[in-house]
Amino acid sequence: MPKTNPLPALAGVAVLGLLMAAPFGLPVFAMTLLTELLILGLFAMSLDLMVGYTNLVSFGHTAAYGLGAYASGYMLLNSSLPLPFVVLLAALLTGVVAIGVGWVCTLATGVSFSMLTLAFAQLLYAIAFKWTSVTGGSDGLAGIPRRAGPFGLTIFTSKMGFYYFALACLLGAFFICRALVRSPFGTVLHGIRQNEAKTLVLGYNTRLYKIAVVAIAYALGGLAGALYAPFAGFANTELLFWLLSGQVLIMVIVGGQGTLIGPILGAGFFMLLEHQLSSYTEAWALFFGLIFIAFVLFAPEGIWGLARRLFARRGLPAETRHG
Amino acid sequence: MGVAQDPANVGRMSTLALLLTQGVNALSQAALLFFLGVGLTLIFGIMRIVNFAHGTLYMLGAFIGYSLVRYAGSYWLALLLAPLAVGAIGTAFELGILRRLYRRDAHAFLMVTFGLALVTGEAVRLIWGSDALQVPSPALLSGVVFLMDEPFPVYRLFLIGFGVIVAIAMWQLLERTRLGLLIRATSQNAEMVHALGVDVKLVRSGVFGIGCGLAALGGVLAAPLVTAAHGMAATAVIDAFVIVIIGGMGSFLGSLIGALLVAFVQVFGNYYLPDFALAFMYLVMLLVLVVRPGGLLGKEA
Repeated sequence: MPKTNPLPALAGVAVLGLLMAAPFGLPVFAMTLLTELLILGLFAMSLDLMVGYTNLVSFGHTAAYGLGAYASGYMLLNSSLPLPFVVLLAALLTGVVAIGVGWVCTLATGVSFSMLTLAFAQLLYAIAFKWTSVTGGSDGLAGIPRRAGPFGLTIFTSKMGFYYFALACLLGAFFICRALVRSPFGTVLHGIRQNEAKTLVLGYNTRLYKIAVVAIAYALGGLAGALYAPFAGFANTELLFWLLSGQVLIMVIVGGQGTLIGPILGAGFFMLLEHQLSSYTEAWALFFGLIFIAFVLFAPEGIWGLARRLFARRGLPAETRHG
Repeated sequence: MGVAQDPANVGRMSTLALLLTQGVNALSQAALLFFLGVGLTLIFGIMRIVNFAHGTLYMLGAFIGYSLVRYAGSYWLALLLAPLAVGAIGTAFELGILRRLYRRDAHAFLMVTFGLALVTGEAVRLIWGSDALQVPSPALLSGVVFLMDEPFPVYRLFLIGFGVIVAIAMWQLLERTRLGLLIRATSQNAEMVHALGVDVKLVRSGVFGIGCGLAALGGVLAAPLVTAAHGMAATAVIDAFVIVIIGGMGSFLGSLIGALLVAFVQVFGNYYLPDFALAFMYLVMLLVLVVRPGGLLGKEA
């Protein structure tokens, strides 16, 4: 870091303070939305590791989300493990599966890579539909409880406690991702993004790095899914549907790829827009689509980039993009 | 039907008849899938665009077809006009929006075509409502023929014939005409074609329009079999992706092979192992990609 600008850190602390205080000032319904936003934000941020930092555009990130959700749902329904363990275990499981997914998908590059990720997600979708004894088939898993514990702790079972748990997961994941992209590992990812051939020639086994980043991104995406199942109380095939993969990719791009924070804002924008538009008009998807097209045409750097440009205009130093 | 048979022969005969009818079924399905896949592959070949809206345009074709059959009273008119209308919409979209994005990365296209899919899907819902609409097949083709004593709709045979004709026409267009030459050249090296004094932009607008029109043609043709419904968009776009990925992105022959492969896997899978049919299609795709990451006839990506 050439020069430390205290502003982003201060703004971060302020936002964190607001998020911590939110349950005391917001109505229950808004808290539900906010919790969902934290989960979707985590999901979008995990994809940003691949899309924004490594230029691995996944069309099938729902594979991670759905896998995490089904795994945590199944464990909560069929074991007496406490909620936090289940969530972390489901994330870990998703990450382990993703090593295999990453191994296969990184055989290809570019559009073929995207299509392979889609194929995996669709395969899981098909399996979730048919493996009724584990996944509940088209009904999915319903009545997923937020199990108490460990040590008899009941804080996570309440709506408010669960909100804090989701917030902690998002924060933890954010700091992990930030440390990762700022580490030497992140520098190699940056090299792969810019010019993979050159990075390879420099002596880095780029394929291993790509498999690692896929595994980490899937594990964090799985974490989001693992949170969603006990949040919503169900896990169904919708969570593995390809449309959600498209939506989360759009959250990343609308928010601002390669920024970690941007995709979280993108998820918020997406949810807010859907919620607001659907309360005004039946045809919300129409306006939704038009707004997206306008975004691509007029604000290609996304919400985060737009915000930074505004700051820059006021003479404040902008943070470096891949800082 | 209705003819008494030697009981010992029934099993064997019906297996053969079954294979035949299912095979013909699969071929007619392949024809529909081909219209979808070839449009997508043409567009990808020339523009490096993954058109997310392809399934929605297929659906739009089916709904426009419904209205034309209903109000103009002619299926043949629908078959002609619906693809033209959707092709015009596609060309307009290319001129108005895609054209501004060629200097940008692939994400931009992904997003705008996703946006187009949302807008078109919702517009269809506003205009035609949310219900599935029945489109009657034309009187000429509504009969049944018997293949080895099994009844078989004439319409499906017509689909096979039509698919063969369109495939040959497309192939001749690409191989024998100046337009085809330009399309192939642009997909190989657009800058060079541009340097030779060809208006590459015009080629792109045209190809995007043709690709969208072909999707709509598939939609009109599918409508009498499956009704015009909103669900068809998602199924169609995924099928189209699978076909093009298996065949190789940008390969004409690849889309034909992909359509045949997917159709046979779908039809026979649905018959013999309905529980695994869906997964089987993706397994075939994964297998192809692992062996040849660029698809069967695609360049190594």
